[in-house]
Amino acid sequence: METNILYTHKDLVEKSKLGDRVSQYKLYELYVDAMYNVCMRMMKVKEDAEDVVQDSFIEAFNNMASFRYESTFGSWLKRIVVNKSINQLKKKKIPVVSIEKEMYHIKTDIEDEDTSILDIKKIIKSIALLPAGYQQIINLYLVEGYDHVEISEILDISTSTSKSQYHRAKKKLINLIKAS
Amino acid sequence: MDKFEKYIKENKGAFDVHKANKDKLWANIESGLEKQAPKRKVIRLWNRTVFKVAASILLALGVFTLANHMITNSNSHENQFISQELQDIDSHYNGLVAYQVKLINNTPKLTASQKKDFLSFMDDLDNEYDLLIEELKKNIDNERVLEAIVINYKKRIELIENLLKQINSSKITNDEDVYIL
Repeated sequence: METNILYTHKDLVEKSKLGDRVSQYKLYELYVDAMYNVCMRMMKVKEDAEDVVQDSFIEAFNNMASFRYESTFGSWLKRIVVNKSINQLKKKKIPVVSIEKEMYHIKTDIEDEDTSILDIKKIIKSIALLPAGYQQIINLYLVEGYDHVEISEILDISTSTSKSQYHRAKKKLINLIKAS
Repeated sequence: MDKFEKYIKENKGAFDVHKANKDKLWANIESGLEKQAPKRKVIRLWNRTVFKVAASILLALGVFTLANHMITNSNSHENQFISQELQDIDSHYNGLVAYQVKLINNTPKLTASQKKDFLSFMDDLDNEYDLLIEELKKNIDNERVLEAIVINYKKRIELIENLLKQINSSKITNDEDVYIL
């Protein structure tokens, strides 16, 4: 079953590898909205997100040969998008990891009994209010679905930093949701 | 994973609120892809009748040589004979090409730079030919090398014939600059 998922759009992928523009466009059409949303979450600015999406697709199509079905095409492409976004943010000197150091450390268990925080609209609004670095880690972990090992690679930090940053970000997010 | 995390993961779809401007982005992607793989202008010489005839003759010759060669493959003595035959054919066409190049060199209808341009094409093909002969020495059975040699001759003769034809119809242009074979 898993193999089947890995080979999603195999025909289009193989033709795209040979430079077939029609297949490339079909793949583009299938993934562009998802990739654009990933970019918008990271870059925030429409023009920046568009630039990253364009560059990512160009890079992906030019390097199709290196895609060997070790993951799905979608997650391979998404990783290119995420890496490019992070590079752009770094160039713009926007912190990709929150530099906020909290000296106190309250235990990370969050009272998940409180169902009032389970409101997706409120959550989305509150994420937008987080500092840039916290937003990135929340997005990468909760929305994009990367684990801490992957996040440590993407952000070039240790896994323990990824974990502690995530817990702080989540705590802050829950407080923001409750306050809204 | 706690309830909060699970809830967000289950409602991921709600985060995808943006729609990409598909056409605009694709136009930029396409031009980006083309920029990295520039296309060369190609004028096909192969469709002209003269070349078709020349190609047929040379191909027939090539096939004949190859067939002959394969039949006598097992016998090393006959192999020697075949390579002698190859050499004869080779020297015949070599002579033909050399003669025609001389014709080009001597013609008063072309300027020096036109001649130079044309002959640089021939030099490229000569270099390719030398490489092929080297390959052939390594392995006389190599059909692909033999085929490539035939194609090499074909190209040279075609180039010359085409040029001579243009001179004779006195419609010389600078077109030979853009011939890409």
